[in-house]
Amino acid sequence: MRYLILGASAAGINAAKTIRQLDGAGEITLISRDEQVYSRCMLHLLISGERSPEQAGFAEADFFKRYKVCWLAGREAIGLNTADKKVKLSNGEEKRYDRLLIATGASSVLPPVENLARGKQVRGLHHLADAQAIARLAGETDAAAVIGAGLVGMDAAYALARRGVKVSVIEAAGQLLPLQLDRRAAAKYEQLCRQRGMEFFCGETVESVLLDARDNVRGLKLKSGKTVPCGMVVVAAGVRPNVEFLAGTPIETGRGVKVDEFQETAVTGVFAAGDVCESRETFTGRIMLTPVWPAAVKQGQAAGFNMAGVPKRMEDNFAFRNAMTFCGIPAVSFGFINAPDASYRELIDEDAGVYKKVILRDGRIKGAVLQGDITGAGLLAALCKEGIDITGEQQERIFELTYADFFAQKEDGAFYFDSKRFPSSYPQVTSIKAI
Amino acid sequence: MKRIFINQELCQGCRNCQLACMAGHTAEQSVLYLDLEDPANRAWNFIEAGPHGPAPILCRHCDEPACVIACMSGALTKNSATGTVDQDPEKCAGCWMCVMSCPFGVIRPNGRESKVAVKCDFCSGRPFPNCVEACPTGALTLIEVDAQGAVKKICPPDSMAGETAPEEVCNQ
Repeated sequence: MRYLILGASAAGINAAKTIRQLDGAGEITLISRDEQVYSRCMLHLLISGERSPEQAGFAEADFFKRYKVCWLAGREAIGLNTADKKVKLSNGEEKRYDRLLIATGASSVLPPVENLARGKQVRGLHHLADAQAIARLAGETDAAAVIGAGLVGMDAAYALARRGVKVSVIEAAGQLLPLQLDRRAAAKYEQLCRQRGMEFFCGETVESVLLDARDNVRGLKLKSGKTVPCGMVVVAAGVRPNVEFLAGTPIETGRGVKVDEFQETAVTGVFAAGDVCESRETFTGRIMLTPVWPAAVKQGQAAGFNMAGVPKRMEDNFAFRNAMTFCGIPAVSFGFINAPDASYRELIDEDAGVYKKVILRDGRIKGAVLQGDITGAGLLAALCKEGIDITGEQQERIFELTYADFFAQKEDGAFYFDSKRFPSSYPQVTSIKAI
Repeated sequence: MKRIFINQELCQGCRNCQLACMAGHTAEQSVLYLDLEDPANRAWNFIEAGPHGPAPILCRHCDEPACVIACMSGALTKNSATGTVDQDPEKCAGCWMCVMSCPFGVIRPNGRESKVAVKCDFCSGRPFPNCVEACPTGALTLIEVDAQGAVKKICPPDSMAGETAPEEVCNQ
């Protein structure tokens, strides 16, 4: 059996490992543009100087040898012929397969802002080379602007600030981290970041990049008329799945590659996993992109099982969850971050430096924002995911709940949530507008 | 793989297991010299009040560990030889994805500065984890789970069992 995997990040690496564990003899080839296996979630640590590129890896140092995977780096797929089962590569090579995994991830997008594509010191943050370029540019200027205050933008901005660069963050929404945090938690981070010299322009959009005669970045002009002087720009305004090479193939794509619950595409024997694919997301029950690390790992593993001929459904495809730390304060959020309508209740617990909010409907947890103290966040997320009814006394003590309240152990010592004691219903969400 | 089986009814909430865990992860290896006020000495196991009395909440070293799946730095790995979920604090980036993902709330930010996550290391290298040895009621026992899911109890040698490990627990 010839397995071909496109992509060397969370989904691709975990698929390769899973296949090898199930098929000792199969021929596994992995193709990647990346010439190093690294965690995209750690790229900001390269910008701040906390880690070297070598310290950004997430797989074993001897991964390809250990799992007998032939790795062809520095090239990428530019075409696919599903009838002949072969992939055309950017270096002219062709690779045949019996089972194919598309795990090509996503790329950062440049919003249609005047001069953004022309400016010499403008970078997205998605690849190792981006982080290295941003770190280099940061050494040549004392002021940077970051477009977008999502997790990638905030990580980049915070890392630049740690290097001593004066950072201005421009965000179209009225708060930073608008998809991850509620106003209250976002305001806390904003206040702490401002104390560290960072500047925020929320509810603002960029009209143009100000360039000198040689296309060097000199600043940003905002739609409000304000000017933000800077010598470099980091663009963190979202990503787009890398599906261009699939144009004209029978592989069905929406925003990403459409897969079923076995991670298989519309073409038998061709699978997709990670940021490139769209699948049924657990919290919303809808088909969508699921661009979070744990989903990519699980999808890669599930794809690996199915490619090796062992049927495995993708479960726990929970993409609405985030964890972060800024200014030494941790935060976790999942599900809804604000009550979508009056049928939901918000319970809030505040203490010095700690803010916790849980969103409930019909006795079931539908979301939470925890900042300052994130202990036990996973339990609340599990109760949300399992749809466990906590009406009554447990709801009164929602911020004190521990697994002792649900203690159930199998003969082999594994914990689980006992559906007899705690009847669960599959989470039904009627509106996702508020997410 | 080995796992610590919890006999919840036998737990008296004495927290001996927590002290043993804390002491076992200090250089002195002694409860006598343990600084309980130092957050760096937090226990990696927990006794929580439940509806049926105290419940020991210990890392399960799960078969499909949510913490390992969520770990984006490679710090958490499932050891295929021992079955334990191991953590390399040098690799941990403190992203808290594991804390967000453990359904049982076991893995937590650690230490004075809470920069890395910490979890049970099954007292790596010791034949019996400190908590199991320290439990005076038999609430914590060691079991061996084979690949087929068959469970076998592992009894401590007599010298360790002392008079605190009831014989009937070993004969179950």
